[in-house]
Amino acid sequence: MNDTQPIIRIKHVSKDFSLGTTVVRALRGVSLDIPRGAFQFVIGPSGSGKSTLLYLLGALDRPSGGSIEVLGQPIDEMSPVEQDHFRRHEVGFIFQSFNLLSNLSALDNVLAPFIPAGIPSQLRKRALALLEQVGLGERTTHRPQELSGGEQQRVAIARALLKEPALVLADEPTGELDSNTGNEIFGYLRSLGEAHGTTVVVVTHDQSYITANDRVLTLRDGQVVED
Amino acid sequence: MWRFAIQNLLSRPLRSLLALAGLSVAITGMVGLFSVAEGIDKMVHDTFDRIPGLGVMQSGAPIPLFSRIPRAWGDEIENIEGVHVVNPEIWTRANLINGKRIVAPPRFFFGTGIAARRKLKRDVYRDAMVEGRFLNETDRGKLHTVISRQIAEDHQVSVGKTLNVNGDDLKIVGIYHCGQLMLDVAIISDIDVVRQLTRFDANSVCAFYVEQDGTVSDEELSEAIRGRFRGREVMSRPDNPLAGGLATGHPLIDLLLAVFQWTGAARPGISGDVDDDAEPIEVRSADDWSERFDEFSTDLNIFLSVMTGIGVVIAVLSIINTMLMSVTERLIEFGILKANGWSRQNVMLLITIESAMLGVVGGACGCLLGFLGTQLFNSNWPDRIQLYASPQLLVYSFLFSILLGVLGGLYPATWAMRLSPMEAIRRG
Repeated sequence: MNDTQPIIRIKHVSKDFSLGTTVVRALRGVSLDIPRGAFQFVIGPSGSGKSTLLYLLGALDRPSGGSIEVLGQPIDEMSPVEQDHFRRHEVGFIFQSFNLLSNLSALDNVLAPFIPAGIPSQLRKRALALLEQVGLGERTTHRPQELSGGEQQRVAIARALLKEPALVLADEPTGELDSNTGNEIFGYLRSLGEAHGTTVVVVTHDQSYITANDRVLTLRDGQVVED
Repeated sequence: MWRFAIQNLLSRPLRSLLALAGLSVAITGMVGLFSVAEGIDKMVHDTFDRIPGLGVMQSGAPIPLFSRIPRAWGDEIENIEGVHVVNPEIWTRANLINGKRIVAPPRFFFGTGIAARRKLKRDVYRDAMVEGRFLNETDRGKLHTVISRQIAEDHQVSVGKTLNVNGDDLKIVGIYHCGQLMLDVAIISDIDVVRQLTRFDANSVCAFYVEQDGTVSDEELSEAIRGRFRGREVMSRPDNPLAGGLATGHPLIDLLLAVFQWTGAARPGISGDVDDDAEPIEVRSADDWSERFDEFSTDLNIFLSVMTGIGVVIAVLSIINTMLMSVTERLIEFGILKANGWSRQNVMLLITIESAMLGVVGGACGCLLGFLGTQLFNSNWPDRIQLYASPQLLVYSFLFSILLGVLGGLYPATWAMRLSPMEAIRRG
């Protein structure tokens, strides 16, 4: 895949959920290209399908129709093992409620994705450096319950970036933070994303964090209303 | 992964402790129950290992106490090729010792031919003397006796003192100590003295102990002895010694009697009718006794396995419950880990390691408690059956506990593994 090609190519993607006898159509024929290194916002009201789209991009779920290519790979056609591999190497996730492991320190949380494969000292050094970059160099041994919400989200950012992914997917990363801390988090996301050449896709309902250089996709009722 | 698994278990200490307690109790019970079987097994084998000769008894008699065979047959046995010594024996119950009624553990007044006994190359009692001396020619016809250290301690007597057995005073000339429940039960005197004191039939003995000279195999010698008396009639056979009120009163000995009676009754060729092919006597080697006991031992082990199985089922359910609760609580965690690249197998491995570690620690605690329990039992009741938790039993129980841990974690692990990351996050 060359650099001029979009890192994400979505064509006519739909996603239906069954709730008892009712079928909810969360996405209806969404198509979108996102270039490499972009800072892409996905906005829209609650229930518009923002998070669903994000999870499809991260191979956490499968579309009901259409196709999704990330880094030239058709992730909707991947086997579960291939999807695991894809998430392990290409995607970093950041969630609204931080989702850190409560019994691990900040450093171990950053390293958690690599526990099964074993953690070489180089990786540990890189994790420490990332924590330093997000201003948590002094708090590496603290557990999540000893950290503020903003600090926890910074640990989550470090965790998402440790694997040096091509793509970071953030679902309402500032949803549980005040605006100052939210700005701080977006500051880290932008600077680290640029430093690592990472494409960042952020789902948010708060448009105050959007700048003129950002790409914005607006969804409503599962459809693209503005790109 | 291991460190992470330990941290996960430590982060929920109460739940982990409860699962450990459930498993430890099950494994302790398992070690305790099987140590009874192993204790009996060890006692039987240790006992018969010390008695290398052949026992000649009346057919169908579970032990010599209930056997009667003609005294004169001893001379005939002595002339059979391969026989070194034939020692006549009379066994009776010692119901009263020093005026005290003896029920359990049982004591036997044992009459032995002193002259023949002294010719034995190996004598289980003579070789176990710890004080005084064994019976010799000077004790023939005299009210002299050799008793076990256990009997001496029970009745606070020593060498030179007298022991009143069934109303007769016997002078103690020696004390032996075999260290075996089935052997340290005899009050040994000259056979003629016992015969006279117990009014035992003048022409009968209970059994003959035959020491081989080593020129003929045990099987050949046994067959030669049986063949010599085949078709001959022995005196009245005790139909059912236990039903006839001859039970010893000691639960273990009675159990053994029942076992030997059952195994004896199961032998082909032994019936109530005497014919030309009838076997009036049985010849038993130590191996015969052990083999017969092994049959019983197998049945006992099945029974104990069922008993243990109940505890094991409870332990497995406890682990499944613990791990299921743990997995349910951590659904988001698994979703996050999967979102960050953990594979389904990684998640399954983590849960299985956690439950296996419960198995390791629970097994270690259970084995330790079980072992200490047997030691405590043995030290508190030294004259009862000695429980024996062998290294093999402990290793087996430990490995079994790990297996239980792994099995207990498999269902929760499979369940967590199958959840998609999204489903896990949503459910959480």
